[in-house]
Amino acid sequence: MPKIEWGILIVNYLFLGGLSAGIYFIAALATYLQEKDETAYARIARYGAMMAPWPVALGSLLLIFDLGNWWRFYKLFVHFRWQSPMSIGSWLLLLFTALTLVNFWAWLPEERRTALVARLRLPRWLDRDLAGSRRLLAAAGFPLSVGVAIYTGVLLGAVQARPFWNTNLVAQMFLFSALSTGCGVLILALSLNRKRLDATQLRFLYTLDICLITLEFFIVLPYLLHGELSVEAVRNSLALILGGPYTLVFWLLFMGTGLLVPLAIEVWEIAPALGSGAPLHHNRRLAALAAVLVVCGGYLLRYIFVYAGQLSSFSR
Amino acid sequence: MHDKRYALVIDSRKCINCKACVVACRAENQVPLGASRDWIGEEHRGTWPRLLAAFQPEQCHHCVNPSCVRVCPTGASYQRDDGVVLIKEEDCIGCRYCMIACPYNARFFREDKGVVEKCTFCAHRVDRGESPACVETCPSKVRVFGNLADPAGKLQQLLATRQFHVMKPQTGNDPQIYYLL
Amino acid sequence: MPVSSLDRRRFIQIAGAGAVAATQIGCGRHQIALGQRREIPTTCELCPNKCSVIAVVEDGLIRKLNPNPENPKSRGMLCARGNAGLLQVYDPNRLKRPLIRAGARGEGKWREVSWDEAFDYTAQRLSAVKEKYGPQGVLWSSTEAFAEVFFKNLGMAFGSPNIVRHPTLCLASVNLAYSMTFGTVPSFDLLNANYVIMAGANRFEALITPDTMDLIESTMNRKTRLVCLDPRFTVTASRADEWYPVKPGTDMAFILAMLHVIISEGRHDKEFVANYCQGFEQLAELVKQYTPEWAEKETEIPAADIVRIAREFSDAAPRAVFYAGRRSSTYQNDFQMRRAQAILNAVVGNWDREGGMVPNAKIALGEYMFLPWDDPQAPRVDEMEKNFPLAAKGDGAYLKLRENVLAGSPYPVKAWMILKQDPLNALPEQAKTMRMIEQMDFIAAIDIQMSDTTWYADVVFPESTYLERLDPIEVLSGIWPVVVLRQPVVKPVYDTKPCLDIVQGLARRLGLQQYFDYTIEQWNDAAVKELPLEMPLEYLKKHGVYTPPGGPKYGATLNPEHRFVTKSGKIELYSERLQEAGHDPLPVYQPPLGPPEGRFRLVLGRKAYYTHANSTSNPWLLDFAPENHLSINPAAAASVGVADGDMVEVSSSVGAVRLRARLTQEIRPDCVYMLHGFGKQSPWLKRAYHRGGSDAAILETAWDKVSGNAAMHETFVKIRKV
Repeated sequence: MPKIEWGILIVNYLFLGGLSAGIYFIAALATYLQEKDETAYARIARYGAMMAPWPVALGSLLLIFDLGNWWRFYKLFVHFRWQSPMSIGSWLLLLFTALTLVNFWAWLPEERRTALVARLRLPRWLDRDLAGSRRLLAAAGFPLSVGVAIYTGVLLGAVQARPFWNTNLVAQMFLFSALSTGCGVLILALSLNRKRLDATQLRFLYTLDICLITLEFFIVLPYLLHGELSVEAVRNSLALILGGPYTLVFWLLFMGTGLLVPLAIEVWEIAPALGSGAPLHHNRRLAALAAVLVVCGGYLLRYIFVYAGQLSSFSR
Repeated sequence: MHDKRYALVIDSRKCINCKACVVACRAENQVPLGASRDWIGEEHRGTWPRLLAAFQPEQCHHCVNPSCVRVCPTGASYQRDDGVVLIKEEDCIGCRYCMIACPYNARFFREDKGVVEKCTFCAHRVDRGESPACVETCPSKVRVFGNLADPAGKLQQLLATRQFHVMKPQTGNDPQIYYLL
Repeated sequence: MPVSSLDRRRFIQIAGAGAVAATQIGCGRHQIALGQRREIPTTCELCPNKCSVIAVVEDGLIRKLNPNPENPKSRGMLCARGNAGLLQVYDPNRLKRPLIRAGARGEGKWREVSWDEAFDYTAQRLSAVKEKYGPQGVLWSSTEAFAEVFFKNLGMAFGSPNIVRHPTLCLASVNLAYSMTFGTVPSFDLLNANYVIMAGANRFEALITPDTMDLIESTMNRKTRLVCLDPRFTVTASRADEWYPVKPGTDMAFILAMLHVIISEGRHDKEFVANYCQGFEQLAELVKQYTPEWAEKETEIPAADIVRIAREFSDAAPRAVFYAGRRSSTYQNDFQMRRAQAILNAVVGNWDREGGMVPNAKIALGEYMFLPWDDPQAPRVDEMEKNFPLAAKGDGAYLKLRENVLAGSPYPVKAWMILKQDPLNALPEQAKTMRMIEQMDFIAAIDIQMSDTTWYADVVFPESTYLERLDPIEVLSGIWPVVVLRQPVVKPVYDTKPCLDIVQGLARRLGLQQYFDYTIEQWNDAAVKELPLEMPLEYLKKHGVYTPPGGPKYGATLNPEHRFVTKSGKIELYSERLQEAGHDPLPVYQPPLGPPEGRFRLVLGRKAYYTHANSTSNPWLLDFAPENHLSINPAAAASVGVADGDMVEVSSSVGAVRLRARLTQEIRPDCVYMLHGFGKQSPWLKRAYHRGGSDAAILETAWDKVSGNAAMHETFVKIRKV
């Protein structure tokens, strides 16, 4: 039986990287939806811009600490190896993290920016208004954030030695999960804010998240169906979640409380608006709960896949 | 085609699980306890008194398409022209992606150095004209080491006249340890 | 070339491959030229096979031990132990300086002393015993080693008749049975045999050179047929063409039934029997009663199979052998069972022919002429003449000796000198050995590690390991004999000495120096003088081994003029000497006792990564089995309510041990098995200390009636979950 080599640090890293990507993607979407003097989408975009850099930065740090020789991490950027998902991913991460920082700067209110430059004694040329580049930054963010989010799945899916992972559905699953967790964090941030939740924001985020969770469902189910109909090794590896050590956490915690319950809450929240355009149910606590569950579900997905995948192998 | 392609032909039936190869490797390559570059797979089957016990020496398969080399982000894992898959210790960042990518679990992480390690086919001995330590020390000469690219070599001779199989060919790695049947 | 002291980091790396804590080695003592790589041939000492090795020494450190293909006996192989041998040198827990006990025996309080003090003290204590009890009051026990001769000689020069060696814990019954039949102990030409029967021998797990490699070659490449009888499904059994889980203790019934079939069907080699054997008629008469149907009831091997095997065996003869094996006695009639084997081999005429039994060829070595001493005055304490008149007297009979020492009869033995032996683990009934230790006024041990017995000594002499010393040159006899040299590949790492130096140190203080007035070099010079080489010593230093050209030779004894070293000068199927000594002149079957209700027979066997009880503290080897288990068949385990991994107490009439049960299909339900060499009491054997259980603690005392060899399968044990 293979040993677990990638542990909880890698789970955290895959989760955090995906989270940032998700936040950025949705914030970028909001940037484009924002029309002149419109504040609802602008707030989402700003929130997103403020939050996006930190999870991925923390995640990258965790990744580096997980290395056997963390001080050699620079070697990742001395080489580029197109066949190695990790090499591609490292470059994507680098570019994406840089982009999130620039975007952060572009959305920082002027007085804060000036204060920050003064306090951190940054070069003066940094204190410039980038608001005009926001849409450009958002545009650049679409490929990069999707790239980062999908790479966390490709990293696992590209390993043909581990039948549990070795399908491109894992990449899509991780992508939609990442976007969904981004959505969840934005819902959570907005619902924690003292200001009244805006119906436009909620409708946008709920609609998006319902789509994403649904998509995730329709990737997880084919993943299981395909696997069951696949070669012996894949079928055997699925036993890890269909009657093995990860069955409970997969079905109850991930599929149940991580996907179905938040989906139900979000559908209930948005239900009145579906037919008549009536106001949403608008329960701040429920919104926060759904958001937390979505985020936890995303985390569990990484956990299950990282651990179970490493235990899967060909028998002969 | 290179003029050299090192490979192993293993006659598992001759293996008596004496572990000489495992200790020889440990000594030759100063492999710390807790890990091994080579090991003996065991299979015990049956109910008394109808029984089977089989042993299979295992190590890095020095694949033609080594997935470990492919996934290495820094190029620390590489393959020589003669097919030997090696790790440049100074380039290994210890991400262990290669370990996960190896279908044979032939690699292990060395805590004291923070790098990944595995069988080198005793490249340092082979380059001196000797055979790998595991090959040399074996009482039953289970392993035959040689140059697969040599049409008159002992490997080609064995493979031409005996049935064989390779482990986990489904991965597409094209492993280069041939187990005789 | 840059010069520096030993690289400490690399030393530690080798010593424990990173796992061993820093040690207090005197690193600064040796100035070594860096970058130096030398290959030095020498001879392994991890087990009695004495394989040839080439030590790769880099910068004064042993880097690797490689096999030396020049030795036709070890044939370019080195087993797990041989490869791990270098850890003996760098073992941080080895004996490093002479020690004198400071506390009570077994308390573990030691005082490091100078060699002079250790010699003086020992000589004074030995002299005191001699004065009070006579020289026979000192027992000299040793196990097989090239330098054993010096130790033995010291005991004899001291005047003691009580020299006891390892054979009666080893293969004395085999040796005696074959000697009584053929006048010599032959080897078995497994390489060229076409049909091999192995009963109780486990050549694929307990390695013997060249037999193991020969058998692999013949069974795997030449399709030699292998029939295996063993209560366990050993690796040998798994590779055999046929395996019969014979009922323990009934091998002889199987052999006698084979003889019945062969003789009644006239399948024996009539010409050979007529020319070389005597007593065939009596044999034929005896085996009439031993029908295959009778044997089936005894052995649980189907009669039809016995008949078929007997026919196939005789058809394959003379390229057919019933292999003698190499192990201690199993039962108290072991000698007679071995005799039955020897007789079976003889009647199919496989003597001195390719693929059969071959008398060992030897190479004559010269002898250093040392001053002879007077024969001892007293008789042996084990009374060999009375108890085992046919056995090799010089080796003694260990178990009987222990009985008599404990009884103080015929006289007291109050001091014990031990070389390289661990009687606490080597002898059955550990508690009795412990009593023997307790009744000694003085015990001194020469060893390289603090064995369990050494732990109870009063003085400990640290011997240099085999890689640090020059030993007497030896001949390994066999079908293809070989001369081997053991030479130092590194200087002693600690304050240790080779055996001869220790013997001489003691001899000087005992006033016996005149018998040991030579150096090891002089001894070896004398030994190799006769070899047909121009510079024999130089040759051996360079090659490590010398073997006469031409390979094995067969048939030297196959002429009617040849006189076998037996009473009749023939191969004795029927032995008058046995009859005179009050034993059965032909092997007569006695059924073994079966295990009483609720008990199991304890059977023993070896694994190729441990030699007896002495290599379980080697970390590279212990890695394969960090503790021993009680192997038990699941059906049997269920009957005593034991599950896999349960801690169980295994008890016999003489003791109890605790270890974990391992359920396995690979053993008869009426037997249990445990690996030897565990449950160590000496804390200096750090890695093996208190791991698993010692079989010696529960084995009951029993010996073969003719040879006095310890019978190791006569113990029934009770198993209880704890």
